[in-house]
Amino acid sequence: MGRTLPTGPHGSDGMTGFLVRRILQMVLALLGVSIVVFSLIHLVPGDPVRVALGTRFDQELYDLLRERAGLDRPIIEQYFTWLGNAVTGDLGVSFRNGQPVTTLILERLPATITLAGAALFIAVVVALPAGIISAARSGSGLDYTVSAASQVGISMPDFWAGVMYILLFSLTLAWLPSSGYSPLGNGVVEWVRHLILPAMTIGLISGSIITRFVRSAVLEALNQDYVLTARAKGLTEWQIVRRHVLPNAWIPIVTVIGLQLGFLLGGVVVVELIFAWPGLGRLALIAVKDRDFTVLQGSVLYIAFMFLAINLIVDIIYARLDPRVRVS
Amino acid sequence: MRDPRAKWRISILVLVLAVAAAACSEGESVDVGDETTTTTGEATTETTEGSTTETTEAMTETTEAMVDDGMILVAAQGSEPDQLDPHMTSAYASFQVLENVYDTLVQPAADLSMEPALAESWEISEDNLTWTFHLRAGVTFHNGRELVADDVVYSFQRVIDEGLNGWRFAAVESMDAPDDSTVVITLTQPSPNLLVSIAGFKGMAIIPQEIVDDGSIGTNPVGTGPFRFVSQSPDEGILLEKNPDYWRADEGLPILDGILFRQIPDASTKLTALRTGEVHWIDSVPPQDIESLEAEDGITVGRVPGGDYHYFALNQSREPFDDVRVRQAIAMAIDRDEIALAAQFGAATPNETAIPASNAAWYYDYAPYAPADIEGAQTLLDEAGVSDLEIEFLVTSDFPETVTQAEVIAAELAALGISVVINDVDFSTWLDMEANGEFDAFMLSWVGNIDPDDFYYAQHHSEGGFNFQGYSNSEVDELLDAARVETDQAARKALYDQAAQLIVDEASYIYLYNPDNINAWRDELGGYSTRGDNAIRFEEATLN
Repeated sequence: MGRTLPTGPHGSDGMTGFLVRRILQMVLALLGVSIVVFSLIHLVPGDPVRVALGTRFDQELYDLLRERAGLDRPIIEQYFTWLGNAVTGDLGVSFRNGQPVTTLILERLPATITLAGAALFIAVVVALPAGIISAARSGSGLDYTVSAASQVGISMPDFWAGVMYILLFSLTLAWLPSSGYSPLGNGVVEWVRHLILPAMTIGLISGSIITRFVRSAVLEALNQDYVLTARAKGLTEWQIVRRHVLPNAWIPIVTVIGLQLGFLLGGVVVVELIFAWPGLGRLALIAVKDRDFTVLQGSVLYIAFMFLAINLIVDIIYARLDPRVRVS
Repeated sequence: MRDPRAKWRISILVLVLAVAAAACSEGESVDVGDETTTTTGEATTETTEGSTTETTEAMTETTEAMVDDGMILVAAQGSEPDQLDPHMTSAYASFQVLENVYDTLVQPAADLSMEPALAESWEISEDNLTWTFHLRAGVTFHNGRELVADDVVYSFQRVIDEGLNGWRFAAVESMDAPDDSTVVITLTQPSPNLLVSIAGFKGMAIIPQEIVDDGSIGTNPVGTGPFRFVSQSPDEGILLEKNPDYWRADEGLPILDGILFRQIPDASTKLTALRTGEVHWIDSVPPQDIESLEAEDGITVGRVPGGDYHYFALNQSREPFDDVRVRQAIAMAIDRDEIALAAQFGAATPNETAIPASNAAWYYDYAPYAPADIEGAQTLLDEAGVSDLEIEFLVTSDFPETVTQAEVIAAELAALGISVVINDVDFSTWLDMEANGEFDAFMLSWVGNIDPDDFYYAQHHSEGGFNFQGYSNSEVDELLDAARVETDQAARKALYDQAAQLIVDEASYIYLYNPDNINAWRDELGGYSTRGDNAIRFEEATLN
């Protein structure tokens, strides 16, 4: 940090206290999430043993398998057993296949992070220029075009957009693979080729949402008195946007980008399904269907953790951008 | 002034995530999927970086060698195998893979009669209570160890002790391996369907004990089949390679160098992947796409009448469904052609009994109900004194055809003044509610049956394990009990025909149709055909 921030009486303690507070909140939130998820999946009918037996149901075998899996214990006891293991980093094993939950999640995390990161990249690359230009040229034809395009982007359901891209870019034009994931280790070209369509599907939707926020944030800043002063000084419109408007518009923009990244990490289930993308969302979806309690708990906890971590990072960026945040 | 560099922090955040993703994805085998099949003919770069362990490197080399040969079949499956332990899984996706890895003692031939596999021959004693199996000589597991009779006994004992299929051994008293190539099975009662019971599908696979002892069976299957397991990852699917020591190697089998099973859950994406040539074979085709796909050049749709059947059953412990006339009225009022057309776009054969015509040995042509006989149905309802009937149908979107069928049936029964409430729940809940009897009617299908005992006993015997509808007829019980031990094929069939007639007449199940088994593949794939039991066997397959 080359730049000294204005430090008040709190000094650097302000930042430490802020971090401690936020991390404590995060732990409480995760605990809350784990309780809610645990209760919900145990309250709905069905359990993993029933699913494994399928239509060939046999009461004796069912009871035996439930006992082996520890599912016959009282729910409260099951929860505390799980929690006790979870704090030591052991999320248990999958009912579906006996694999450690942590392994299952870590195998799929890279794919999900890759997809979310790429989608956010597309979103930001599209949204920042589009939002700024459309605010700076507010009321122009360009502004209307951007607004209309972002409206289309927001209204487009992801499953529909994904299928359309596959039909266009894979089937008709034969430019890109229709599905699957190629790890970066197998070559950058294949990695990018597999990434483009799914990332575009959600990236453009996210980008449309961010565009609207950028536009309104920039527009609001443009209406401030200091912009009038700057104009009076004879600065060009672009100088004003760059020096005076963007620095002020930045906080709402960072907020929405952070939220979008959280949404992308947790909410890409549909896209993962359509593109056969081996991510966390698909793992969680199968876990719901098969009532694979441990895997579901583990995945949701990871997603929640990432969401909270991003929020924390966003807040740290705030505190950097605006010292008032960390004092309050 | 605020920090102008803040915006770069976001970029850094994105970058960090990307790097984290890159760091997590260790170098593994090359994506054979695209290299072998991309029809656009683009050269693809194969840079394998950062292989971390020796095994990974070896794996990568194997894969690359296979890719060069160009004989890797890429097969797309619609759902993910849950695990690869043949005795513990009930997922069809797992069996699609395991079918090519494991063998059973005997196996269903294309016409569903039982033919030799690991056992070359077998004899049955005079009293029909002792079966002696002679194992093929020189069969080895993929780990190099020779198959011995103890492996067969061990595998069957494990199924009895652990698995979901222990009930298949109900009539087995003891199993012995008097020498390395002989297995003797002693029964408590004659069991003409023994072969189907203990070897009808790969859930009864013969496994080596060592992979159970070291705990690797669920992730690293070792069988005697035409292909050996190489690797599995969520990123790239499941890779099998040719087993050069396969017991049919002298016939030149298998021909392929390997199979890559990719999991593509979305049906339309899976279809596109076949059309673009990214995959050679897909495990199913949405019924509405069959016609257009059949007309497409370069693609073959394999379609045979399947052994599955769709049905619904009324809860006979609830009024008025305990009255046989009410059940008959409903069986009479529906139109099975219409239902099959709506649910399967006609890729099905309406049937008023369970066993399909393709199961030549056991098919019984019996269809007492005229389609959509509203008048006859109304008469029966009047006789039973039932009006303003409401039926709650338990269906599940996890098997979407059950929902479609319920909708069609609802419309058909409206003519009788019956109102149908469709209760659409997820499959796990469905199973719970079925087992607890929380339904007026439940609708599903039974899959993978070959022997009539599998079709009728558990479902319609009053002591049957799956008789959730509560049907009880002592005459049917006696017929099913007698047929179970009748060793004369013709006499046995006569018993089942009588039982089937009663079951259909009294509408214990209301049978709807047998759906076709459907796969599709690119014309490069030869030596493969869709089977009546839906087993996916690539041992004779070729790629051009």
